[in-house]
Amino acid sequence: MSFQIPCPNCGVRPVWEFHYGGPSRKRPEGDVTSREWAEFLYNRPNTCGEQTEWWYHRSACKSWFLARRDTRTNQVFETRPFAPQEAVGG
Amino acid sequence: MADSPVAASQEACEFEFDGKAITAQAGQTLAGALHEAGQHVVSRSFKYHRPRGLFCCTGRCPNCLCTVNGTPNVRICTVPAEPGMVVRSQNAWPSVNFDFLSIFDRLHRFMPVGFYYKMMYKPRWMWPIWEKFIRRIAGLGSVDRRQGADGTYDKLNLFCDVAVVGGGWAGMHAALDAAQAGFAVTLIDDQPLLGGHLRFDPDLADSRLADVVRQVQEHPGIQVWDSATVFGLYEGNYLGIQRANRMIRLRAAEVVVATGGWERPLVFENNDLPGVLLASAAQRLLHLDRCRFEGTAVVVTDNSQGYRVAGQLARAGTTVGAIVDVRENSPDKIEEIPVRRGQTIFAARGTKHVTAAVIAPVSGDAHATLSCRWLIQAVGFTPASSLLHQNGCKFKYDPLADHAIVTAHGRGTHSAGAVNGIHDRDGTALDGRRAGLAAVEALRPHDAALAARRDELKAKMGAIPLRESAAAHYASGSPAKKKFVCLCEDVTEKDICDAVAEGYSNIETLKRFSTVSMGPCQGKMCQSSSIALCARANGKSIEETGVTTSRPPEQPLSLGVLAGRGLHFSLVRRTPMHDWHVSAGAKMMDAGNWKRPETYSTPEDEYDSVRSRVGLIDVSTLGKIELRGSDVVPFLEFLYPNRFQNLNVGRVRYGVICDDAGILLDDGTIARLEEKRFFLTTTTGNADAIDSWFRSWLAGRPQLDVQLTNVSGSYAAMNLAGPNSRQVLAKLTDADVSSAALPYLAAGQLKIANVDAVVLRVGFVGELGYEIHVPSQYGLHVWEAIVEAGKEFGLAPFGIAAQRLLRLEKKHLIPGVDTDALSNPLEADLPWIVKLDKPDFVGRRSLAQAGERGLRNRLVGFRIVGETVPQPPALVIHNGKLGGRVTSCEFSPAAGCAVGLAWVPAEQSKNGDKIEIHVDGRVVTAIVQDEPFYDPQGHRLKS
Repeated sequence: MSFQIPCPNCGVRPVWEFHYGGPSRKRPEGDVTSREWAEFLYNRPNTCGEQTEWWYHRSACKSWFLARRDTRTNQVFETRPFAPQEAVGG
Repeated sequence: MADSPVAASQEACEFEFDGKAITAQAGQTLAGALHEAGQHVVSRSFKYHRPRGLFCCTGRCPNCLCTVNGTPNVRICTVPAEPGMVVRSQNAWPSVNFDFLSIFDRLHRFMPVGFYYKMMYKPRWMWPIWEKFIRRIAGLGSVDRRQGADGTYDKLNLFCDVAVVGGGWAGMHAALDAAQAGFAVTLIDDQPLLGGHLRFDPDLADSRLADVVRQVQEHPGIQVWDSATVFGLYEGNYLGIQRANRMIRLRAAEVVVATGGWERPLVFENNDLPGVLLASAAQRLLHLDRCRFEGTAVVVTDNSQGYRVAGQLARAGTTVGAIVDVRENSPDKIEEIPVRRGQTIFAARGTKHVTAAVIAPVSGDAHATLSCRWLIQAVGFTPASSLLHQNGCKFKYDPLADHAIVTAHGRGTHSAGAVNGIHDRDGTALDGRRAGLAAVEALRPHDAALAARRDELKAKMGAIPLRESAAAHYASGSPAKKKFVCLCEDVTEKDICDAVAEGYSNIETLKRFSTVSMGPCQGKMCQSSSIALCARANGKSIEETGVTTSRPPEQPLSLGVLAGRGLHFSLVRRTPMHDWHVSAGAKMMDAGNWKRPETYSTPEDEYDSVRSRVGLIDVSTLGKIELRGSDVVPFLEFLYPNRFQNLNVGRVRYGVICDDAGILLDDGTIARLEEKRFFLTTTTGNADAIDSWFRSWLAGRPQLDVQLTNVSGSYAAMNLAGPNSRQVLAKLTDADVSSAALPYLAAGQLKIANVDAVVLRVGFVGELGYEIHVPSQYGLHVWEAIVEAGKEFGLAPFGIAAQRLLRLEKKHLIPGVDTDALSNPLEADLPWIVKLDKPDFVGRRSLAQAGERGLRNRLVGFRIVGETVPQPPALVIHNGKLGGRVTSCEFSPAAGCAVGLAWVPAEQSKNGDKIEIHVDGRVVTAIVQDEPFYDPQGHRLKS
């Protein structure tokens, strides 16, 4: 793992400055069945290909942002801060 | 280059080889000097202890591995001689010239391929003895443990626009074209001088070589690292480079791999005898080390390089007995040297050196013996494509060139020259320029001028025949046994065939069983021939056979280079009062990266001071977060199971943080200093994790007006605790610190010793106490002021050890010590914290479900019956089975017995229940207690 990620604040940095926060998902809200909740908690997607995911720039600006990355090649297509109209992830 | 790590001696010098003095001419390598001195046996082989001589002279093959000045496994063909060097041969006893262990060469029938798998695994107890024996007689040099590391190692981090690996004809052209477009280029070459093979092939090099080398060296946009080996091309164009004792880590936007090729050897009887050399080895010895080849040479070839070598040898005074050309019809010819067309090498004869070559027609067996001392093979190159493989490039076998050719490059990677199978000199230059331009175009797309140059190059390249057809015949038809495929591990053609016959027919299993290509050269010498033989033995094509994977490091490198400096940089964090603790004689301990006082005198004495007088502990290591904004309350309501709407200004509250599975992550205090300003503390160990946790939830809620500042390092903190603490504090402030003005769970902002402080009336240790936060730079000042003011009240500083006991008497848990990744606050005996009547908060759904399900385990306090103090994690036994574990236990002076916290089954967790704890094979009885062991009503805490 030696790819680079363009942090929206700091620019391109090596991956070891970041912490991976998992794929961006909608957190179930309101009346949720146990099955749906367990699905959200324990069955994480393991995408082979492109996904939008959270990254945390822990060694520098300490911001969480979203990245679109191909999990097969580690190519990062874009990074951006979260926009309010999106699904709320965690 | 002035700072080249390979400094050649400027004049003739003397060094020692196995006790013998050898003279080296100025600039000669150790290998060259040994060759001139007639020391043609330089090592003994791995398994059979056969004599081995110089073979590739490029630092690839294992033949010249020697111990130089105590450093084992040095390839002496790459090391210039220096006065006084001590060179020792390896793997031979008593010497390379006469090695008793060469008896193994005659015992080869008892050591077939993989024999150690079959012979030495039974009986099992014999293995350690076998292992010792094998390690003594087989293998490479041994590390001199007395000597230690040879010198200082360090690391250098660099970056550039375009990195070019290989300073040969293609690489130099790539670098120039990229640099001329205005990009920062780094050129890395493993030789002390640029030029690649043109340096030692005078028939190819003309004045243009010196011209191009000068252009590269003088170009301000090109940084040249000579004598530097790229051992890895990692993801994201991250290059690992070794240069002497230094590791250079280079990040490049684009990489051009122009690593050339490895010359390929043929497989014939006795092909490992000293005197059998690759053509480029002969050329290096002739032109770089200015050595001679006395006697007669026979050159085996399938291309024009063989003819050039023959001519160069002849001009240097060697009698070239014959050129053996595999091709029936070839355009090449040379005056005065007989050429035998359509023939190939069958065997070499000799014991410690070649004395004759046996040649035979490619088809047929009419042998002819030619007396000779040197047998030079020039049968083409295999692309040095390891780095491209590492970077995920795709390859396809090309039957015309007889090797694999890149069909798809990894991202940001380009290749040029011989690594693409292009050997024509002009074609190589054009290919280099094309690759340099492609790298630049990737960095500056849609540039019309660049596109025009690319098209122009393409047209020029179209006019040049780039690849010669290869006609090499790897293996002679000789049925002899000593036809070596792998010089590193002494694997013969017969071994390969036997292994395939035993079922190891896949190239990967064949490699692991026979160890072919697993030695020091990592397949650089044997990959093509082992694949060809595997294909032949299986009756398959080379394409079907495939290749083994090449991984970093591309060239061997010493562990010191990877390790870097002896002392590793690990973060040490000290609080502002650290020096005071040390001079007060505190015994320090590690708490994560922090250094914290464990105890100053004894934990018992410190305990006494806190309980009966007053104590002071440094808690600067706590995580501290400040939240401001109008939406802090809803944000906290969402993050904590606690309620915060009713937290008034000037009040502080204990809270725990859970994740969405309801698992308790951390605890701490939340103080409301102003209407829209909150001050939070976290535990020492979770300071960074909780900071990140808060930010992660904020990131998904940009509409909230919450500003988060991590002030962990900005504040020093200390906890002043004990019955006399109010009197101490009163001496240092004008503010009213009475119980009415600053009651239990008050959060005040007052001046202490003239410093603005946040004072929280919390009581982790169970006494009247004040957690005082002041700006870090005043931490020591306030600490000293408190110590001074506390003298008359019997104040003593206390450490972690006393604090652990003090809090345990109050049944205060420590997250991560008393809880784990399965603990929720309901079961951790904090049900009052969880407000399920609140709307959604993190963990609510899971905690609601856990509440409905009922508790399965509970964290309870217990007191031991008897004298024993069980040490965590002593097991709790329930109905003869494992029921839980002790997480904390200490002897409590307040309770007069050992007390602790333990996870127990819920049905055994009522006040007064008896639990059994397993201690050293015995069972100790303990009684569950709901109340704290000290001051159960909290009178002292709230006083």
